[in-house]
Amino acid sequence: MNRIFIGALAAGALALTSIQASAQTKLSRNEIINSLQGAQQEVELSADELQKAALENIQKYPGANAPQSLPLADKLATLRQFNLEITFDFDSARIRPESFESVGLIADALHTPYLQGQTFFIVGHTDAKGAREYNLDLSLRRAQSIREALVTTFRVPSDYLYAVGLGEEQLRDPADPDAAINRRVQLINLGYR
Amino acid sequence: MPRWILAVSAALMLTGAPAATAQTVGFADAIKILAASCGNDIESYCKTATLANNGIGQCLVQNQDKVSAKCTEDFAVVTTLIQERLAAQAAAPEICANDARQYCGDRKPGAGHVLRCLLKSERVVSKKCNTAIDLAGYR
Repeated sequence: MNRIFIGALAAGALALTSIQASAQTKLSRNEIINSLQGAQQEVELSADELQKAALENIQKYPGANAPQSLPLADKLATLRQFNLEITFDFDSARIRPESFESVGLIADALHTPYLQGQTFFIVGHTDAKGAREYNLDLSLRRAQSIREALVTTFRVPSDYLYAVGLGEEQLRDPADPDAAINRRVQLINLGYR
Repeated sequence: MPRWILAVSAALMLTGAPAATAQTVGFADAIKILAASCGNDIESYCKTATLANNGIGQCLVQNQDKVSAKCTEDFAVVTTLIQERLAAQAAAPEICANDARQYCGDRKPGAGHVLRCLLKSERVVSKKCNTAIDLAGYR
């Protein structure tokens, strides 16, 4: 539902995007706002706790793939959230130009009064290919890279944004661990402090 | 200078913003101009530069003798567009201060509470405050 669609563009943007016919997104600012707004009271969960839980999942249940999802999964699932795809260079946290617009849309959404003053996790996820520790680290670096772009280039207040990397510990489609749908950035609203 | 103004208005038309005076555009619409006009140059000369901390911008400036004219021109446009939006966001609370007192005095300051109230009160809020909210991209 929230994945990137190739092609269809807002009419006004056609003139520009025809210059570069690479992947464009149908994603809109309001879609992000609508999915994220309406957080209830503050949630008692820190980014550090979540990051630690992912590492513990690897240590407790070693192996090529995680045998089960995180104990915190049920709690996370109840929170207002939005999944989107950001493309990075291979094995790198460098955001590719075709995803600049998506990062800009996150900035546009987070700046609005609808989402101001609420705390957000930017959670990076990979698919299950490769080593779990490596994926955990890469997803964290990618989440930090998005946070950094939002905070510096687009001046989103830094106090409200936390980067978390869950690697392959929280697959979106556990039945198909290597599927592309598992590679995503998840924005989670932790509510007002 | 006139060329620069032309570029900004061209960019505004291209991004589909209404042809009103002093319009601003969102961060996404601004930064996608950079991806479109500079995408090839970024991939050629700025393979390690990041979107964060103006890394792409610094790299494009460092390589200005190689970067395409279109990219150089539009990079300046994008920088201006982002600054205009940030300025509009910074200005809105001050411009709306009277309306905030009049219609949203019971709201807690900070965390967007007053601005959310002003958005809901669009029908009664002053024209200048509504315009400021539009320019900030808050609606």
